[in-house]
Amino acid sequence: MRVSRWRAARPGPAGWTLLGILAAGLLAAAALGLGPRDLLPREGGGATALRFFRAALEPALDYEDPVLRERASQPYVLTLLLALWRTLAFACAAILASLWGGFGLGFLASSSWWEDEAGDPGTGRLFRGLRPAVQAGVRLLIGLLRSVHELLWAVLFSAAFGLQPITAVLALALPYTGNLAKIWSEMLDEAPAGPARALRQLGARPLQVFLFGRLPRALPDMAAYGFYQLECAIRSSMVLGFFGVGTLGLLLRQSFLEVHFREVWTVLYLVFALVLLMETWSGRLRRRWRLA
Amino acid sequence: MFELAGAAVRLGGRSVLAGLDLRICEGEQVAIIGPSGAGKTTLLRLLAAGLPAAAGRVRVLGQEPACLRPPELRLLRSRIGFVPQDFGLVPNLRVWRNVVSGRLGQRGLLGALRSHLWPSRRDLLEIHELLERAGIEERMYHRTDTLSGGQQQRVALVRALFQRPRALLADEPVASVDPARARDLLGLLDRLAREEGLTLVVSLHDLELAREFPRVVGLRSGRIEFDEPAEQVDPERLRSLYRLEDGGGAA
Repeated sequence: MRVSRWRAARPGPAGWTLLGILAAGLLAAAALGLGPRDLLPREGGGATALRFFRAALEPALDYEDPVLRERASQPYVLTLLLALWRTLAFACAAILASLWGGFGLGFLASSSWWEDEAGDPGTGRLFRGLRPAVQAGVRLLIGLLRSVHELLWAVLFSAAFGLQPITAVLALALPYTGNLAKIWSEMLDEAPAGPARALRQLGARPLQVFLFGRLPRALPDMAAYGFYQLECAIRSSMVLGFFGVGTLGLLLRQSFLEVHFREVWTVLYLVFALVLLMETWSGRLRRRWRLA
Repeated sequence: MFELAGAAVRLGGRSVLAGLDLRICEGEQVAIIGPSGAGKTTLLRLLAAGLPAAAGRVRVLGQEPACLRPPELRLLRSRIGFVPQDFGLVPNLRVWRNVVSGRLGQRGLLGALRSHLWPSRRDLLEIHELLERAGIEERMYHRTDTLSGGQQQRVALVRALFQRPRALLADEPVASVDPARARDLLGLLDRLAREEGLTLVVSLHDLELAREFPRVVGLRSGRIEFDEPAEQVDPERLRSLYRLEDGGGAA
């Protein structure tokens, strides 16, 4: 047979998809008229940009507004800490709710487990009959939850309930439930089937096979992803401040509107430190779990 | 104990076993040998009531799996210890947790949860005693993936014994260990099966090791080629069992 460099190097389906994405990106950039010159500051913006970035060197440790500095009911540091606490509280409350939802939905949406069980004569007929409807319904629900961004949920819920803590928590909890359910169900599917097969063979019922055969193997990965989602939820909880929820984002918006760039940098540094801290913590936990 | 009459198994539309007749009595020790792809694993799973037969009759511990309702079938399975070739252990659980799973088929959901989270002293003592007999009791509280392959296999064996089974089936137990260890392991299986009064069925691809068994069943392309005491097995027949068919042979 003759050798062909084209046949050897020809991209496969994944390669073509990647090339397609690359081409689409270039096309989009051209359509939007993007160019490196857009990054240059506009007229008069140069001075503002300079002021903004110079403020990075001296973040505010007190209110920038002299009136507030005299009359504020609480010191600036306390204001910051309270906002930080609320940022964390909203994120944690939302993730806690998502854990339950994500676990239940993720379990029902995972497919390998259903398929294995459905093919086994040791599984009841009711279970086998239920499978297609339950799985399709749950996957639809997960898609629905994920397709709406948390900020959009926040807008919808604040229209329904007004600006209450529950609004922010629900807005965060729904999409994160969807994320956790989707990724967790995939992780459960990826767990090796050997233990599940062995447990089915020794007479375990389907739910036991799931709990003691599939779940333990997937749990470290699931926990790691849960941590990652908590990090994301903290960032989102901050951004919800722009809608008036009392998190760090609210401080950020106010400082921006009043052109208090030093305060802006203080908040940004705080968020940066928080995310870094979360990352080190979750990274350390992941390493401990992964130990082989 | 086990009885197959004209039993056949189809997997994914392909015939894996066909027309099998086999009787294994209580307390017997049987080696099933044959080339890879002959259907040894499928035969073991059929004996363990883990697969439905497409044709023929199957009796396991005096019951017909095909006639049982799911809960009865699960109870029947819980009476047969099965050591799979891949061990089927959860690597990131501690050894005792993998062993305690052996009795899942005899426990309800709550009882199973309790035995995993807050085990009874009696369970732990029993697990320790079994691990001791398998020679790995000091590993009881270690994570399973910190054990060597041979030790993990013993964990799978102990899990099967913890079921309090009436028969022990082991699928290629020596596939991944060196010859010296292989003899060691078969000796352990033999000793434990005798002590517990269990029927023992082991699948092997090594002819030499099969000679230690009083009865050898030769399997090729899903059919039984011979079934006789080890000392009577004709070397020529053994060779023909492993001969490749023209044009590739069985997958």
